[in-house]
Amino acid sequence: MKIIFALLLIIFLAFSGYHLSFRNFKLPLFARHFYMTGIEFIFLGLLLGPRYLNILDSKTQSGLAPLAALLLGWIGLLYGFQFEIKKLRRFPLEYLAAANLQAGITFFLVLFGAYFTLPYFLAIPPSQKMVVALTLAAAAACTAQTGLALMSPDFPGRRHEFTRFLRYISSIDGLVALVIFGFAYVLRPSVLTDASVWSSLPRAAIVSLGVCSVLLILFSLFLQKFPNDDELALIVVGMAIVISGTASILNFSPLLATFFVGFGLVNFSRDKERIYRILISIEKPCYLLLMVFLGVRWELETAWILLLAAGYWLWRFMGKVAGGFAVTRIVVPQKKWPANLGFGLVDQGGLAMVILLDFAQSFPFEISGQVISLALLAIVLSDTASPHLLRILLHRSRA
Amino acid sequence: MKRSRKSQTTPFKPYVLAFLLLSGLALWLQKVPLESSWQHAGMTDFSLGMVLLVAFVTGQTAKAIGLPMISGYIFAGIVAGPYVSGFLSAGMVDDLHLIDDLALSFIALTAGGSLHLDFLKKRVKAIALNVAAQTLAVFALVASFVYALAEQFAFTKNLSPVEVATLAILLGVVCIARSPSSTIAVISECGARGVFTETVLGVTVVIDVIIIILFTLALTVCEMLQSTIAAMDHTVFAALTAEIVASIVVGAIAGKGIALYIERIGHDLALFLLFFGFGVTRLSLWLNQFMQAQFQVALHLEPLLICMSAGLTVQNFSTTGGAFMESLHRLSPPIYVLFFSLAGSSLNLAALGQTWLLALCLATVRAAALFVGAWLAGTASRDRPLHNRLAWMGYLAQAGVSLGLAQLAAREFSVIGDYFCTIVLAVITLNQVLGPITLRCALNLTGEAPPGQRPA
Repeated sequence: MKIIFALLLIIFLAFSGYHLSFRNFKLPLFARHFYMTGIEFIFLGLLLGPRYLNILDSKTQSGLAPLAALLLGWIGLLYGFQFEIKKLRRFPLEYLAAANLQAGITFFLVLFGAYFTLPYFLAIPPSQKMVVALTLAAAAACTAQTGLALMSPDFPGRRHEFTRFLRYISSIDGLVALVIFGFAYVLRPSVLTDASVWSSLPRAAIVSLGVCSVLLILFSLFLQKFPNDDELALIVVGMAIVISGTASILNFSPLLATFFVGFGLVNFSRDKERIYRILISIEKPCYLLLMVFLGVRWELETAWILLLAAGYWLWRFMGKVAGGFAVTRIVVPQKKWPANLGFGLVDQGGLAMVILLDFAQSFPFEISGQVISLALLAIVLSDTASPHLLRILLHRSRA
Repeated sequence: MKRSRKSQTTPFKPYVLAFLLLSGLALWLQKVPLESSWQHAGMTDFSLGMVLLVAFVTGQTAKAIGLPMISGYIFAGIVAGPYVSGFLSAGMVDDLHLIDDLALSFIALTAGGSLHLDFLKKRVKAIALNVAAQTLAVFALVASFVYALAEQFAFTKNLSPVEVATLAILLGVVCIARSPSSTIAVISECGARGVFTETVLGVTVVIDVIIIILFTLALTVCEMLQSTIAAMDHTVFAALTAEIVASIVVGAIAGKGIALYIERIGHDLALFLLFFGFGVTRLSLWLNQFMQAQFQVALHLEPLLICMSAGLTVQNFSTTGGAFMESLHRLSPPIYVLFFSLAGSSLNLAALGQTWLLALCLATVRAAALFVGAWLAGTASRDRPLHNRLAWMGYLAQAGVSLGLAQLAAREFSVIGDYFCTIVLAVITLNQVLGPITLRCALNLTGEAPPGQRPA
């Protein structure tokens, strides 16, 4: 079985290479989307992991932990860089409200769904139920804009404002999820030894904000001497690992910590353009590696996972549709945009996967592998369905 | 006057502040109780990140005072390592070996890619003469020195004559080994080019290959001396030669693969090279185990040699050498800082403390032997007299492979194993600290480092 799977995957990857080497070879939309998002790298991870070739065994994985920390730090910084206040102000405030409203609705719908349903199917200890539900809800709230990027050229000049609105939402709606995901770290058993959640929360918030400020000052000090691009890259790598490591030691999310530092840099540093250029230069390799790291953690021993993934996907879809409907009725009713706006927000992608990696690194529960598997399957499903749903939405908005 | 003084001190002020802040944070974090595996991993990550940043600062300081930056990185590693501040514990250094191997595979790719066959063909006589003369001179002088004077050192005076002879032979061979990683790092950092640079690089790489054969030969002779075997087993050498040839061939095929990737796809080259480096390191290990388990064949492909051969193939047998080297150069600053700071933290100062006098004498004898060998070879191949006088400075650095050989010998000869390992570690510590500095000086004095890269 392993050999057959390995052979199939190698043939598939060889085909990928062939396709990539002949760029004029135009694939159908579904396959194009599949390649753009790099989902095949999840399967590469699965092949390299303990289930098949075992090249990335558990010892190797722990040896590569600094690389995972770098990935989390890098993507966290990059995400923080999307929140440049000066640029965000160019958009109406109602856009921000819309992004947060639909993300919030999806988040809470999936949170309740996961919290009350999952324990019936998976053996989740009571102390881990909320952490698992928060993680799945946070991953569900995020939207990627790959589908939009691919689809927009097919709809030139039509409903420009609408696609701009969808892009805006998908680029920032992960914020709510990310901040609430940070809350999961307060629920760690080691943090909650002799204090309740509510008394731990303010202390954790103050410590994490204080430490993030110190790290931001540290980053800025390294930038004072106008480093050249090579030196700057080194500083960014070093700082990303230091921030991730500090967050792990102090029991808060590396992703959230680097997000805060990225947010500070983009709004206060004179070197923001250069740092952004360095961060974005290896954005795609970072995401592809991220997928390999997640693929390694796949556990598909039980068929229940497929069912649960479908259920999770459905909850998320319902959340996005309900969120989109609420946006068109409450936040931007005067625009008369289609009520099924949520169809354009199904793509899940990048940030959701980073949240899953953060969860995998920080919460090595017995159940973590299965939780990641069901979420990954749902992401694959979302990425498969989103081009079609998006096409329906864009056609309707044109009509 | 006041203004010029300010301009000299101001540039490092932010770095000093950053260093103090980072140190304060590190001291505070060390007081946090680590209760989970995740926190322990976090501490390793933090320590690694901190060493990277501190090494960057010390590298900049080294550059400002005219030393190679890698000396600054090594210094930062020594200070952060288990023998000085203990911030990077021995366990953490062990945990980071995989990352270290990845960095080494990148350095080996760069080393291979820096070898231009057209140029090397013109220098083949000089390189061959250097390899032969230096190998003979180092082995003869070091082995004779140890054999003749072992009784004078407290550390070795209790050994029997056979044990001293074994120690002398093994040390003689290990002292021939070089450090291609340090050589390539200093050359890249200076942007040096020319006859002297290419000869140093060529000789260093060739010696790094033949040292494995020489060491196996020395092990067999030592076993005969200790009467554990009666005669030489020729199959050992045949197998070793086969392994080296197989590694070179596998590297050449892989190099063709890299070239094809660059030609046909081209993007995400950094990621591809990361996969390649990791793949070579892990697959050679896996293949060795697989061949042993399935066919009872001991096949040890050498990842370093595979990567060097791949780099050489891309550079010399394809049209993609430029893009390949550009991608490696872009990745090199973090890789060098990481690799050499970890190398610094691995240097065994305890061993140096125990055997410093013997180590100092051995390092001096080795340097003298390198001078004799390089001068003779240079004179025979009619190189410039200045090059002949300075050549020894380019060959001092020593690391990686010597350490591996020392550990291998320690397993074979339990009685002298500890002595041998300790002395080798001490000599490596000295040579790895001094070697990059002397190489940098030599490149400056020969005029092959561009003026902009030289210290003011």
